[in-house]
Amino acid sequence: MVAPDKAILLIGESDVGKSHYGGQLLKRLMQEDGQLRMKGAATNLEPFEAVMACLDAGLSADHTPFTTYHESRWPIVDNEEQQADLIWPDYGGEQIKNIVDDRRLPQVWLNRITQSSAWLLLIRLQKIRTDDDVFSRPLASLKGRVTETWDAGLSDQARLIELMQVLTYIWSTANGHSGRLPPLVVLLTCWDEMESPGKPIDELRQRLPMFGDFIVSNWKEPSVLGLSALGRALDKRQPDKDYIAQGSERFGFVVLEDGRPSSDLTHPIRRLIAAAS
Amino acid sequence: MPWSGGVLGLADVGFVAGRKKPIVLAIMGPQNAGKTTLLGAWYLLLGRGAIPDDLRFSGSCSLAGWEAIASSLRWEPGAKPPSFPPHTSSRGTRAPGLLHLAFKRGMDHRRDYVMTDAPGEWFRKWAVNRDAAAAEGARWAAENADVFFLVADREALAGGERGAARTHIRLLARRLADDLRGRPVALVWTKADIPIQEDTEDAVRSAVLQVIPRAKEFAVSIMSESDGGGTGQGLVELLRWVLHVRRPALRLPDPAGDNLDPLFIFAAR
Repeated sequence: MVAPDKAILLIGESDVGKSHYGGQLLKRLMQEDGQLRMKGAATNLEPFEAVMACLDAGLSADHTPFTTYHESRWPIVDNEEQQADLIWPDYGGEQIKNIVDDRRLPQVWLNRITQSSAWLLLIRLQKIRTDDDVFSRPLASLKGRVTETWDAGLSDQARLIELMQVLTYIWSTANGHSGRLPPLVVLLTCWDEMESPGKPIDELRQRLPMFGDFIVSNWKEPSVLGLSALGRALDKRQPDKDYIAQGSERFGFVVLEDGRPSSDLTHPIRRLIAAAS
Repeated sequence: MPWSGGVLGLADVGFVAGRKKPIVLAIMGPQNAGKTTLLGAWYLLLGRGAIPDDLRFSGSCSLAGWEAIASSLRWEPGAKPPSFPPHTSSRGTRAPGLLHLAFKRGMDHRRDYVMTDAPGEWFRKWAVNRDAAAAEGARWAAENADVFFLVADREALAGGERGAARTHIRLLARRLADDLRGRPVALVWTKADIPIQEDTEDAVRSAVLQVIPRAKEFAVSIMSESDGGGTGQGLVELLRWVLHVRRPALRLPDPAGDNLDPLFIFAAR
């Protein structure tokens, strides 16, 4: 029997931690103690070799070059022995930024979007810029002040909404306008950087309320989870001794909807695959 | 992509209207009355999650357009203070700039709203002469809108030109009332933080209510009473009113027949 493909569209701008999650996920799959495990061996792990080497040395991996795009096919199986081939990409996040900036989509991305069966959106809330406005920081008087120039740039929140609007439009156009969208998991990355965080959905709503509304009103059961792929910040030069001693597969956690941490980094993928089938 | 993100023109609106006719809000009022600022303020409040409602934001085809009008109300990095959006120019176009928002209650019942951002000059000319060549955009709004704002600028009504400001809104109200066809209207006092003489306020109110008796009144300002985390005055209430406004419904005559089959009820004489 041929295992069905589960192509996960991994969506994340630069520096949200896509490669680190990819490397850690791969190690967890091979360790075989999560909800998902690797069955046999992946055909080609080359794209993740460098990331895994860095993590083994207790170092943080380099930024993935802008033009890079690799896909790796991983044969996986869940606790109920259901098999699937997980297609996992790694790429420079600038490619995502350009979709909104240029309003043009390269053919390869078009294919990736239309053929995807589930979406995983990575957001690093600490990198989201929210400027003060007249409501958060009022002025004594605005009288007589009029702007001369227009600033046409999008705020980070509007950019995320526009990105998801582009993706949903393209997917729906290719897959019929049935109103159904691929299942979505939003992963709030670098969770260990947050100061006394609450539930993931509350954090998203607090930092990106309009985007939160957008997600909730367009997906039937969107899932918002927290993720700390590494469990702690790693340096590029100074090796982390615990990492070397215990192995990177001992680190990293997912924060479930109710705020509880889980060390099973395969959980978000399991969710997506279950929802997509 | 069939939308550019910028302010929509008439040619773009088909993409939005293809789903279902959107609810069109026409904001009518003189130049510098705060029409664009009102829109920008709404967008910022939506962005802050400050509009509590069972209708949730679910998308927009003109995010860049919204961002452009709201950007001047933001503090820029480097602590450049906010200011008012620039004057909306006529740009030689015949239809107002249209800003789109979609809302949903739960997963279904998507409602699309299109809001006009039109130069005040058009409405001044239209109020004076219905057929004025330069008022085509105002005529478009009057013809196509489902709900109207008649903007009364308290700053102008408190200043040296208050006589002219009062006359203008009186003329505009009469022009609008001329072909209203039961569509809802709100009399919106902008810059509500500026005090005006009571008799001026009464005169404007009665001039509007005289010709549009069902007009609902709102007073708005972007100045919050509290420092930080405020929502201005009346802005949230006004947007919620617009979101829940209904088109005048078609009223069927009371059935006269005694047949229980709906097919025959209205055919009965």
